[in-house]
Amino acid sequence: MSFTEFVSKNYNEILKSLVRHIELVGISILIGILISIPLGIFLTRHKRVAGPVLALAGTIQTIPGLVMLGFALVLIGIGMLPAIIVLTLYAILPILRNTYTGITEVDKSYTEASRGIGMTNMQTLFKVEIPIALPTIITGIRLSTVYIVSWATLAGLIGAGGLGDLIWTGLSTYNTKYILAGAVPSAILAFILNGLIGLLERILTPRGLRRSRI
Amino acid sequence: MKLKNFMGLAIALVFLLSIALTGCSGGDKIVIGSKDFSENILLGEIFSQLIEAKTDIKVERKLNLGGTFVCFEAIKNGQIDIYPEYTGTGLTAQLKMDVIGEPDEAYRVVAEEFNKQFDIKWLSPLGFNNTYTLAVNDKVYQQYGVETFSDLAKISENLVFGAEHEFFDRQDGYEGLVEKYSLKFRGEPKKMNVSLKYQAIGNGDMDVTDAFATDGAIKQYNLKVLTDDLGFFPPYYAAPIIRNATLERYPELEDVLNTLANAIDDATMTGLNYKVDVEGKNVATVAKEFLNERGLLE
Amino acid sequence: MSGALLEGILEHMAIVSIAVLISSVLGIIMGIIAYWVRFLDSVILWVSEVLQTIPSLALLALLMIIFGLGDITMIVGLVLYALLPIVRNTYTGLKNVSPHLKDAARGMGMSKMQRLFKVEIPLSFPLIFSGIKIALVNSLSVAVMGVLIGANGLGTIIYCGIQSRNMMNILMGAIPVVIMALVFDFGMSKIEKKLIKRTK
Repeated sequence: MSFTEFVSKNYNEILKSLVRHIELVGISILIGILISIPLGIFLTRHKRVAGPVLALAGTIQTIPGLVMLGFALVLIGIGMLPAIIVLTLYAILPILRNTYTGITEVDKSYTEASRGIGMTNMQTLFKVEIPIALPTIITGIRLSTVYIVSWATLAGLIGAGGLGDLIWTGLSTYNTKYILAGAVPSAILAFILNGLIGLLERILTPRGLRRSRI
Repeated sequence: MKLKNFMGLAIALVFLLSIALTGCSGGDKIVIGSKDFSENILLGEIFSQLIEAKTDIKVERKLNLGGTFVCFEAIKNGQIDIYPEYTGTGLTAQLKMDVIGEPDEAYRVVAEEFNKQFDIKWLSPLGFNNTYTLAVNDKVYQQYGVETFSDLAKISENLVFGAEHEFFDRQDGYEGLVEKYSLKFRGEPKKMNVSLKYQAIGNGDMDVTDAFATDGAIKQYNLKVLTDDLGFFPPYYAAPIIRNATLERYPELEDVLNTLANAIDDATMTGLNYKVDVEGKNVATVAKEFLNERGLLE
Repeated sequence: MSGALLEGILEHMAIVSIAVLISSVLGIIMGIIAYWVRFLDSVILWVSEVLQTIPSLALLALLMIIFGLGDITMIVGLVLYALLPIVRNTYTGLKNVSPHLKDAARGMGMSKMQRLFKVEIPLSFPLIFSGIKIALVNSLSVAVMGVLIGANGLGTIIYCGIQSRNMMNILMGAIPVVIMALVFDFGMSKIEKKLIKRTK
């Protein structure tokens, strides 16, 4: 059986795994954004706490995926819930850090100008700082997304589903076709999301601030 | 300047040291592997301890290596020399032949083919048959009173099935089973690491799983094991399999490992599994106790 | 058990060290090529980024098909993953060397090679070092997955802990990884700062 025959025979399974993968990533990124952006904004107003909080988030980042999954498994159990919790935790740092640095690196002349014309703190935030920091924040979201598309492949280990299931099956039976069926779509998914969000980044960069981004 | 140089040197030394220390391992040794579930790990450990006690050969353990096929690849390319395999698995999963129901015939065929095709020898069976079965949780049993796989087929659309990833890509696995018995489970089958199946059934995430007959957790979770009335699964008698090349180098291994012939029956294996899986005892300890009890280490 | 832990730590470090060493050499060379050969720069940077975007489990599984089980496969995977930070930082570092200094070097009669080794690389070194630091810290984490493709390392103890749902084992394997990552991140950042001061 060639690979194409394999795909057409199992295309239902592959599709379901892809959908579940997108679900896992989507939910985790959403929650990650809802937590990180407000938290990041908060940190820019309370800079003394920023260091420790970012350091903590950074430490979570160094914990290997298998380990976090293991913790979630032992503490919570099997299925989508522990997987989403782990993925959300991983999504936090890039978004948080980029929100914080994005806002704090906004040229002081802009914020001074806005205060000068009588804007409140809140207004400055929403009308000046966030719009200017937006590309950086989106970069953070992009990095998080690519990151957790990758880690979500591990989630199949604890019964959460996703493209990882295909890879795990292929790994346990040394079956190239299964591995490809999981690896290729997950890589393509990562590329597409990376590209789409990267496009968003570029669209949202105020023309005056457009600089080359690698 | 000095501090930077010192730190740089220290880091470099640490790296080089770690490479050096792990790099050197020569000399006479064999590598014993195992699959990634408790029973197989236990057997691998039992083999290792037995060989260490009865011969001068150094044993390197690569237990918990992965699924059936990972171990198979490893033994074929010489990364491991021995691992515990099951006749039914060898027959249907690796040789991709049809099921042979008669245990001795199954053993004969699998031993002959493995020798011919892969230059691997099957030593004497250990005595127990760890067959794939289907198990349902107590709630399902109370509700439907199923006894056989065929009974299950009648009510399968109400039940959620789950198994380890390997089960879904084997000749003697999910696809064949579902076809033979016309099973139609509810929704998508759940897939997870082999060690998590029983936990999943226990907390109701799924209703049916492919249990291994000698799993300790069956008792722990009070599961009902069903009968394979149409005989889909072959017999799975466990035995050490060893590369012929390794046997030529160390012919004494054959006699040593054959002292385990028929030494472990179903009940014994289940008991040992129970100690590891349910009582949480250390694999090496359980293996040692077993060997001592049988006087096999003398 | 502590014997197995020590072995795991040493194996883990050995695999990561070898991989980072290889990817540093490879990455710096690729960065230099991207800098010298204009039309190749986007290609090289793009390839490095693509490699990082591929999900790690997928990449390792694919490598396993090609290279089989074992440490070598893991090292290859780590090298591929470590390329982006090193290549990108080398390239950026070289590009950002002040044009005045490059002109001065040319004026002094230095060949391209001489300019590279005597001026450009030394000045870019802090950034290159930073790239290697990132690569190292990431590799420590990714190397845990070695257990899934038959490689050695701390992943073995961690995976064993996951399968027996034993928090102790998971922690025993995880804590050394996290400590090493934090220590190297901290230590190398300190060195980086000193390097930046020197090049000012």
